[in-house]
Amino acid sequence: MMRFAGLVTVLAIVSAFSACQSEEEIKRQRYITEGILVYKNNCANCHQNKGEGLAALYPPIAKSDFLADKNAVICLIRYGQQGPIVVNGKPYNRPMPPQPQLSDLEVAELVTYIYNEWSNETKVTGVKQITPILEKCKK
Amino acid sequence: MPVLSKPLNFWAKNKPSLLLVGLVAISWGCGPTNEKLPILGQREAVTKMVNGKSVTDSVYQSIPDFRFVSQYGDTVTARTLDNKIYVADFFFTSCPTICPKMKVQLKRVYEKFKDKPDVMLLSHTIDPDHDSVSVLKEFADNLGVTGRQWLFVTGDREKIYDIAQDSYLVTAQSDPSAPGGAVHSGAFILVDKAKHIRGIYDGTTEAGVDQLMKDIDRLLAEYKS
Repeated sequence: MMRFAGLVTVLAIVSAFSACQSEEEIKRQRYITEGILVYKNNCANCHQNKGEGLAALYPPIAKSDFLADKNAVICLIRYGQQGPIVVNGKPYNRPMPPQPQLSDLEVAELVTYIYNEWSNETKVTGVKQITPILEKCKK
Repeated sequence: MPVLSKPLNFWAKNKPSLLLVGLVAISWGCGPTNEKLPILGQREAVTKMVNGKSVTDSVYQSIPDFRFVSQYGDTVTARTLDNKIYVADFFFTSCPTICPKMKVQLKRVYEKFKDKPDVMLLSHTIDPDHDSVSVLKEFADNLGVTGRQWLFVTGDREKIYDIAQDSYLVTAQSDPSAPGGAVHSGAFILVDKAKHIRGIYDGTTEAGVDQLMKDIDRLLAEYKS
């Protein structure tokens, strides 16, 4: 697993420097890099650096079945979450505070990072995609 | 030449043992493990008469008595911690900022000293309006804490803030502009069996808490000898 991660890192670095890299890939790398910072500053306190969550207090994000509904994830980042939820079969019941300080772009970067790091996506969730979703679930 | 060769030879022959002497000297001189942890806080000189002579002694700041309620609903006073080394901290269950980090770190301390009955942990909520006994119980359960080694206490808000600032030497105050409505220090305070403060650590970092765990071992060793 470590070896695989190392290989991926090397590949990522090589591809980042190669001239024939697509514009989409450059954008993805940029979103992920920014997304890591947004995550560390706004989410990692509770959900931890590797997205593993904390005991039965805060649910994991990494490999979480909650990621299946991306629209719900986008909305709960901005507007928070109240009441009991079940993640990977385990109950959690602690409010998540809303994060109104995050701009649409920052939410997009964060979502891109989360889904590339802990789900199986290798694409950008762009800000243009995010804005209408956030608009719809505005409370 | 023959004159010079002798000291050189002496050095060459005895190099390993000389090196050893040097290392011992160094570790003797500045080895922290031999030293006792300092007693922190204010101290005052108290002069009293003993056998007709006046004797001056320094009296160290210590944690006064208090009266709070634990996650099990029973009263916790300074006597509950008699004959214990304990780590105190201040937090609140709905805190979105540094508290989760502190709890991850304090959980490491809990796991490491689980089988040491002389060590206790005392977490004070600074949001007693919200953090009732049942809220604290649920929090402790969710964190995976059982038994009475780690007590989560609530009580009168002002008394908690006062003991934090005046006795444990850390910040705790309500601040509506802060996330969660209160600001507090991320410190862990190490208290010995005489209720003296022996160390204050950054409870939000792994390095700070590694140091705390080393110092708990040193403090435990003090009571063994």
